[in-house]
Amino acid sequence: MSGGLVARLRTPLRQRADLSEVLAGSWTALSAAELARRPVHLERDGATPLGEIFELNGEPEGRMRFVGDLELIDRLAAGLNEGEVTVEGSLGSEAGLALAGGTLDIQGDAGPRAGAAPLGFKRGMTGGELIVRGAAGAEAGAGMRRGLVVVGGRAGDRAGLGMIAGNVVVFGSAGADAGLWSKRGSVVALGAITPPPTYSYACTYQPVHLRLLLTRLGGRYGLPVRPRHLNGFYRRYSGDMAELGKGEILAWTAK
Amino acid sequence: MKIRGVFIEDTFAEAFTMRVARIVITARSNRWVRAAALKLTGFATSVIGCKVEAGIERALSARETPDGRPGTSILLMTMGKDDLAKRLVERIGQTVLTCPTTACFDGLPDATDRVGVGSALRFFGDGFQMSKVIAGVRYWRIPVMEGEFLVQEKFGTLKGVGGGNFLILARSPDAALGAAEAAADAMAAQPGTILPFPGGVVRSGSKVGSRRIKSMIASTNDAYCPTLRAVTKSALPDSVNSVLEIVVNGVDAPSIASSMRAGIHAACHDGVVAISAGNYGGKLGPHHFHLRQIMAGA
Repeated sequence: MSGGLVARLRTPLRQRADLSEVLAGSWTALSAAELARRPVHLERDGATPLGEIFELNGEPEGRMRFVGDLELIDRLAAGLNEGEVTVEGSLGSEAGLALAGGTLDIQGDAGPRAGAAPLGFKRGMTGGELIVRGAAGAEAGAGMRRGLVVVGGRAGDRAGLGMIAGNVVVFGSAGADAGLWSKRGSVVALGAITPPPTYSYACTYQPVHLRLLLTRLGGRYGLPVRPRHLNGFYRRYSGDMAELGKGEILAWTAK
Repeated sequence: MKIRGVFIEDTFAEAFTMRVARIVITARSNRWVRAAALKLTGFATSVIGCKVEAGIERALSARETPDGRPGTSILLMTMGKDDLAKRLVERIGQTVLTCPTTACFDGLPDATDRVGVGSALRFFGDGFQMSKVIAGVRYWRIPVMEGEFLVQEKFGTLKGVGGGNFLILARSPDAALGAAEAAADAMAAQPGTILPFPGGVVRSGSKVGSRRIKSMIASTNDAYCPTLRAVTKSALPDSVNSVLEIVVNGVDAPSIASSMRAGIHAACHDGVVAISAGNYGGKLGPHHFHLRQIMAGA
């Protein structure tokens, strides 16, 4: 078994690149050569095979690693439903758009709408795990129906916008209006957060399920989960009361 | 065969296939782990009268539990899968859900046969319950006055073995009790097994049916009652004045055999005349634990 497929950017990008078709559908059983033929849509030059932009080494075998300056890359792992994708660096917008399964692990920052629903759609992620170790732009996890979005740094405004279910965990501070218009689902804030005015404070308590979730994030992804996160208290806010009100914000508190 | 002067009879324990679930209870402290575990495993000695057989398998350190809190694992057994699902829901619902600070998890994650537990208990939440999927496993968060009760949606079940046993035939009640206590202590540490009777020991071994009442499915094992030696066809040597039985259930036959071996070895004390076992002629239960074979493997 190899260490998976490594996709290394051949030359720095000078235009935005849409990689939404590269990992769509089944890909883990494909060869490197087959994946190299999948199209990348360049902003000015149009469709180009992945292999012309990235040098591919190894075979996927369920894993793929992207290396290079990737900030102009949008929609990487859109619709991903299998395998483990690692990004050594930062990505542009809509990374892991409508993720359905598998794992997208971004070791840098993510642009706006990571793990969100495609524009014009209400339902976003239906599964999988999106890990952004750095900061995330606005509307991370917007419209998610199921799955997990983790932001290791700061989350932009409206994280978990219109969530239907699932979990958004923010280690850093959360921007304005996290969880706005959510029906269900949880926004877990380990850093600072100001819940939207349409959320109502319920109580301060110790949710046992967070011990499971956070322990896994520490063990599986090496995220900086501290004893205070596991043993601490959380302020629970119910919302969005303008919607079903069955969602929640769980805000860690030093209390 | 003799072990430390104790005669090991050439007989076997006859045991049955049962359905088993492993329940992991955690709580904020051992006090509440124990409180829930004792209630959950209460009145669960024999399926004959309790519908279920259950016992504490072992204590779990915080490092061994899903939520990093102290816990315990419990085996709960019934004769069938459907019955097991009902008993799990009843018992967890009444004894763990109700107990402060507890959470409840499946201890057989690799078992392919699964029954709904949290999926039934969630209705106690009256529509306020929430589910969470963590690492592909669904849990239910049921709001309670204290906070939330967390319970896994489905629990695995296996075909286990119930009714492994041996009889301690002793010269005196003290000798029988001392040997039984030593056996129970030795068997308590055996993984994959439980001793469902009080303290792991049974004083009222039974035979199938009744001499007088046809509807009774079990009655006193008169052949092993010292007080009946003169009035029944006794199986007891003359020097025996007290008999105690150890019953052991487990996740599989090797676990039972290992536990019996440890127990019999520990029970071979001064004052013990013989070790025997209960069976029905080999016609009822598919699992036969031959004492001498087991002890030959010690």
